[in-house]
Amino acid sequence: MQGMTKPKSSTGDAEKTRHPRRGADCVTVDAAHHSVASEHHRPPAHYPKGSEVQREAVPGPDLREYCSSDKDIVEVVRTEYVYTRPPPWSETLPTIHVVTPTYSRPVQKAELTRLANTFLHVPNLHWVLVEDSARPTALVARLLHETGLNYTHLNVETPRNYKLRGDTRDPRIPRGTMQRNLALRWFRETLGQNATQLGVVYFADDDNTYSLELFEEMRSTQKVSVWPVAFVGGLRYESPKVNGAGKVYGWKTVFDPHRPFAIDMAGFAINLHLILAKPQAYFKLRGVKGGYQESSLLRELVTLNDLEPRAANCTKILVWHTRTEKPVLVNEGKKGFTDPNVEI
Amino acid sequence: MRLKLKLKTVFILYFTVSLLGLIYALMQLGQRCDCTEHDLAKDRTISRLREKLHSLLEQTKKAEPTKPLKPPLPTIYVITPTYARLVQKAELTRLSHTFLLVPQLHWIVVEDSPHRTGLVSEFLSHSGLAFTHLHVATPHERKLQEGDPSWLKPRGAEQRNEGLRWLRENIRSQEGGVIYFADDDNTYSLQLFEEMRWTQRVSVWPVGLVGGMRYERPIVEQGHVVRFHTGWRPSRPFPLDMAGFAVSLRLVLANPEARFDGDAPMGFLESSFLQSLVTMEELEPKADLCTKVLVWHTRTEKPKMKREEAMQKQGLGSDPAVEV
Repeated sequence: MQGMTKPKSSTGDAEKTRHPRRGADCVTVDAAHHSVASEHHRPPAHYPKGSEVQREAVPGPDLREYCSSDKDIVEVVRTEYVYTRPPPWSETLPTIHVVTPTYSRPVQKAELTRLANTFLHVPNLHWVLVEDSARPTALVARLLHETGLNYTHLNVETPRNYKLRGDTRDPRIPRGTMQRNLALRWFRETLGQNATQLGVVYFADDDNTYSLELFEEMRSTQKVSVWPVAFVGGLRYESPKVNGAGKVYGWKTVFDPHRPFAIDMAGFAINLHLILAKPQAYFKLRGVKGGYQESSLLRELVTLNDLEPRAANCTKILVWHTRTEKPVLVNEGKKGFTDPNVEI
Repeated sequence: MRLKLKLKTVFILYFTVSLLGLIYALMQLGQRCDCTEHDLAKDRTISRLREKLHSLLEQTKKAEPTKPLKPPLPTIYVITPTYARLVQKAELTRLSHTFLLVPQLHWIVVEDSPHRTGLVSEFLSHSGLAFTHLHVATPHERKLQEGDPSWLKPRGAEQRNEGLRWLRENIRSQEGGVIYFADDDNTYSLQLFEEMRWTQRVSVWPVGLVGGMRYERPIVEQGHVVRFHTGWRPSRPFPLDMAGFAVSLRLVLANPEARFDGDAPMGFLESSFLQSLVTMEELEPKADLCTKVLVWHTRTEKPKMKREEAMQKQGLGSDPAVEV
């Protein structure tokens, strides 16, 4: 990754921290396993579109054991994992820039922790974490540093009167909009100079669940690629409708299927070049009807015809719109407060 | 002498030459090719480096022939009860991403089901983890019914016991190892596993977002647990959450009767298991003497399916063949 070094000084931005990518210094080749490492260490291969990345490095003899009793277990499979975390940076793989807006609440650290544990498996991933805060918080800064991921830490505070109120029937701005827009602006200001960089931008909220296959599906995006998302729109899943020619012609949703892009934030990825080529395209801040956030950006970038269906022509679920329960903290006042210095 | 070339002869000649050429080409398939003229500089470098690596390793081996191998890491046996519901695959997926980063981890997944499901079987075989796939159905009277609050009946007791049974029957004591009961909706940091790995008997640590508080934790004085900071019934023998302790394999194998009591009153499930294994004084405090939160008792919302249900009533439900 080149070019991510200048801190920003304008209002609303924070200093970001450029984290150096880990190289192959993390690979340990001990004497007992050296043959495994040298023969089976996976080079940063070109990932063919749509293929499932092979994760097992078979160490040699087939170590399956078959239990004689049919009732108990099918098999015990020993698989050895030989890879660094995160994987060494490849100069040829397109970078996946994952934009995650986040905000402070009790489950925040847990959400970011398990999200990081997923991202640590994805090669050439650049995490752009944008806090909804006036200043970058120590919690997030520390967490990002400890993960070892390649990251950029930004922040912008959504003004109080803009924030979604839980009881309101008239949402001001959908949550995360200003943060995502800041990331878009950051891409244009920081990566705009180097026109040859390959990259894909994905908006990943911090409470969803992502399979590893999803990232390989989006890596080859030319303009905007799309796929189904589970647990949105009150359905098991929502999905683009794909015709026999492999083109998107509509949306399999119940909630307002006539939206220009009836798709969830987690259901598409955009080629970085497209973001850079249309510098005026942002998520609309105000006056956006519920469910039209995604359309407000996408209609500035592509038409329906340009969309590239992924996940086996939009028939597989590779991302789930999970939501985490708000923890009950009713005892905080009773048996004595917990120590606020203990970070959760 | 003039050769009278008939058109027919020309064709036969042409056909024969082509056929011979084709046969020759087909015979070349699978043969080692002479690639010296295509030998790129990169390939040469790789070969050279590989030779160098090999010779260096040979040298190291020769130089220290009696160097003792590092002791192998104790295996962490993670027992996860699981049951079919909409978010199951998502939960298992993100859980597996964490486990993949932990060395020497063996995942024992126990389904609450009379048989192994295809979803979990396929998922585990593609996960890349070392795993054991078990199943045992919770008896009907112990199961939570639709509409029951989650705290009404202790869950997962039969499944955890099944995991223990498998370990007792299949793993030998001298292998070392530690057992951790990890529910499929909690969140685990990587550091947690390194804290628990060298447990001698039972180790304990704080758990975030549980007991109606930001965290619950054992209170440690002079290196020993003296009491527990918890929001609910602190007089229990072991007022800690399932995610807040790990047990050494040796201890479990030495106590073949220790198991979870599915009939225990609410909140006493952990105690029903631990009280036959260890006393409070013997507990080993981890996570900086129980001052750091390395695991969180997160819970996932049940996804809203109102529209799905409405569509299904009309016979227009989503394709059930698409696995969620």
